Amino acid sequence: MAKYLRIAIVLAMAVALLPLATSRAQEPVTLRITTWAGVDEAAEFQAIIDEVNASQDAFQIVHEPKPSDYYTVLQTALAGGEAADLMWLDQDHMPWAFDGVLLDISDHLANDDRDTGNPDDYFPGVWQTVAMGEGVYGLPWIAQPVVLYYNKDIFDAMGHEYPNADWTWDGFKEAAIALTNEEHYGFSLNGWPPPYIWIWGNGGDVVSEDLAEAPVDDPAVIEAVQFYADMIYNEECCPSQETIAEEGFGEMFKAGRLAMFMGGAADDLDRVEGLNVGVSPVPKGNATGENTTFAWIAATAINAKTEHPDEAYEALVMLTEGIHSWKIVSPRVSQATVEHLVASEPRKEANAEDIIAAVPYMRGFTLFPGYLEFNDVIWGDYFNPAFNGEDTAEALAPDARILLEDVLASQ
Amino acid sequence: MGDPGAFNSYYPTFLRYIGTAIVLGLLIYLTYQGLRKLGVKREAATGFALITPWLIGRILLTAFPILLSFYLGFTEYNILWDEPRSLKDPLFNYKRALSFKIVEFDKDERVSIAKLGQLEAEGPDIVRYRELDSVVIGDTRYVIAATDVYLWRAIWLTLRYAVLSIPLGMAGALAVALLLNQNVKGVGYWRTLYYLPAVLPAAAVALLWFWLFAPNRGLINWALGPIYDLTNSEPLGWFTDKNLVLPSFVIMSMWGIFGANTVILLAGLKNIPPDLYEAASIDGAGNWVKFRHVTIPMLSPTLFYVLIMGVIGALQLFTEQAFIPTEREDGWFVNWFLYNEAFNFGRMGYASAVGWLYAVFIIAITLLVFRSSAAWVFYEGAREKEAGGA
Repeated sequence: MAKYLRIAIVLAMAVALLPLATSRAQEPVTLRITTWAGVDEAAEFQAIIDEVNASQDAFQIVHEPKPSDYYTVLQTALAGGEAADLMWLDQDHMPWAFDGVLLDISDHLANDDRDTGNPDDYFPGVWQTVAMGEGVYGLPWIAQPVVLYYNKDIFDAMGHEYPNADWTWDGFKEAAIALTNEEHYGFSLNGWPPPYIWIWGNGGDVVSEDLAEAPVDDPAVIEAVQFYADMIYNEECCPSQETIAEEGFGEMFKAGRLAMFMGGAADDLDRVEGLNVGVSPVPKGNATGENTTFAWIAATAINAKTEHPDEAYEALVMLTEGIHSWKIVSPRVSQATVEHLVASEPRKEANAEDIIAAVPYMRGFTLFPGYLEFNDVIWGDYFNPAFNGEDTAEALAPDARILLEDVLASQ
Repeated sequence: MGDPGAFNSYYPTFLRYIGTAIVLGLLIYLTYQGLRKLGVKREAATGFALITPWLIGRILLTAFPILLSFYLGFTEYNILWDEPRSLKDPLFNYKRALSFKIVEFDKDERVSIAKLGQLEAEGPDIVRYRELDSVVIGDTRYVIAATDVYLWRAIWLTLRYAVLSIPLGMAGALAVALLLNQNVKGVGYWRTLYYLPAVLPAAAVALLWFWLFAPNRGLINWALGPIYDLTNSEPLGWFTDKNLVLPSFVIMSMWGIFGANTVILLAGLKNIPPDLYEAASIDGAGNWVKFRHVTIPMLSPTLFYVLIMGVIGALQLFTEQAFIPTEREDGWFVNWFLYNEAFNFGRMGYASAVGWLYAVFIIAITLLVFRSSAAWVFYEGAREKEAGGA
């Protein structure tokens, strides 16, 4: 037995050492990037990676898409010290920076004169999702403002004027009721679109600027939450929870069962065959007087434990530059033009102007340590009970404030 | 080499695999040589040497995490951190899980968070008491408050699930085993057919049931459609209705009737000596009497085994819920609660403490079932021994 074991060990060592020669011959540093991209998206992204790889000799980027259960996989990889050098993160997960897993790129940015690395060229409401505390932890590559998609045929049949940027929320609600009949509903909510659109537009916020208070009992916030609660699942204007479960949320709009629907600017709702769809910015906030809207934001961040931070930063900037001409909407001020949007996504040409009109008023969440727990509490103890009709926003707000400020104080 | 980048990316992993194989090979070799030098016979030394990798895997991948989780239960730890942080009060996690109090309110007074108070223990978070339940006696409302109401709701849901699903599942499995024990044509075919569902992965089964229970497009509500029409009622929401989450999971668990339990019970039935039935028949016993006084007592050790495994399995339900999302307010099972605390809420320390508490709870329940066995489990050998001794 010993003889065979010895032979097996020697053979195994020989096989293990064999690739070293090949490895030494590879001069460029290998950088791994992990994303949630599915097959089609990964193929499109690979074209950008190939371009970056071909344009320099310092590094080669390898794409590792993980389309299934992305954040669990990524979190486990980070915990095990096996995570890729670069990673896509949506704004909900950018607070991982406070756990020390993302590289602070402030110093790199300070020495970079390219537009992609210029914080001033990003919309402030977007930049705040990567610039947290004293550091900057990634570069945003997309900021999709929530816009209002509307079915022109339903509006025409009901003799109602199309939505426009001057609509108010009260007018919007009246329209949703007027556009509801036995065949279709005026609008649909189920927790999406985020109630923050109404809260911010009403001049409120759920967390103060100094991150010490959670003024969810502010009248502006209560009014906004109650407005949302009064519409959600209310069959006067919107489908019930059961109907949404049966027919699908976005699918209802595609099937011509909704007159209006709020979705991300990049959604395919305006290119459904047989559906005549228009796009408008969301109605004006009561207090801001602007079409204040929420933006779904994602960034690329660098693993704090990467062995090649300089090369990773260079790859980050080059990749981000490429993605800004691929994904819509680019989060950069200089690229907020109809021409740039259409060049990135020609299928959005018909509604490009309305999408661009929404861009200046979009923003993401305010992020801080404990953000995920804060989000859990605000939904569990405030939004959901109000939206499910368990109590009024006014009655729920005081306890919610105490719980939310506990989270802020614990950080 | 087609893709040197991909190869370089995989190379460290490849090297680790090879390294692990070499180390294990060496360990087997050294174990063998060591045992031989100690005078152990060749056959025994080979056996021990060959189980060394398994033993090491067991120690590293099971025993070590169990012990580590015990330590983590006394710390604050997020898996994204390099290391756990010590707690000023090492028992903070346990206090957070176990603290209760009763607070008096006026009958019509709103139960406010502020009046319920907070946990008096130094820890990384401010932990409030929340209302778990309340009782009104006279003009006073007695609010039972806990520092982690979601944990206790999860335990309550899991216990009710176990109490409902285990007896139903065992009765069903026994009924199927009795059927498969009949001398009918093609019984082998039927046995294979009834065991087939057990070979499906739990994830696939969960997704299948999720679809079956879909409120408006699922097969179950479609089949119940005529009843809904007759009674003029809305289709049931099943997993989306907080009142039906538990019944839905219990019904889904009935799938387990066709599987390992049936095979085990069938084996138990086959072991019952036919002469007992013959003797009972001679004494004029009917089918029910034979079932009650021969089959059940003789099968009781097997039923006991199935019960023990059922209790442990029901209290550890996880996969099904991982694929069937329910709102936390509507009901989470304990293991799903633990998983979320550890991985989604970043509280691995707290999850470890709760995990240990729950392990003790499961062991206690299992011991109770064991204690009960003296009253209803019939061991033929033991009785013979008793009789012989007397």
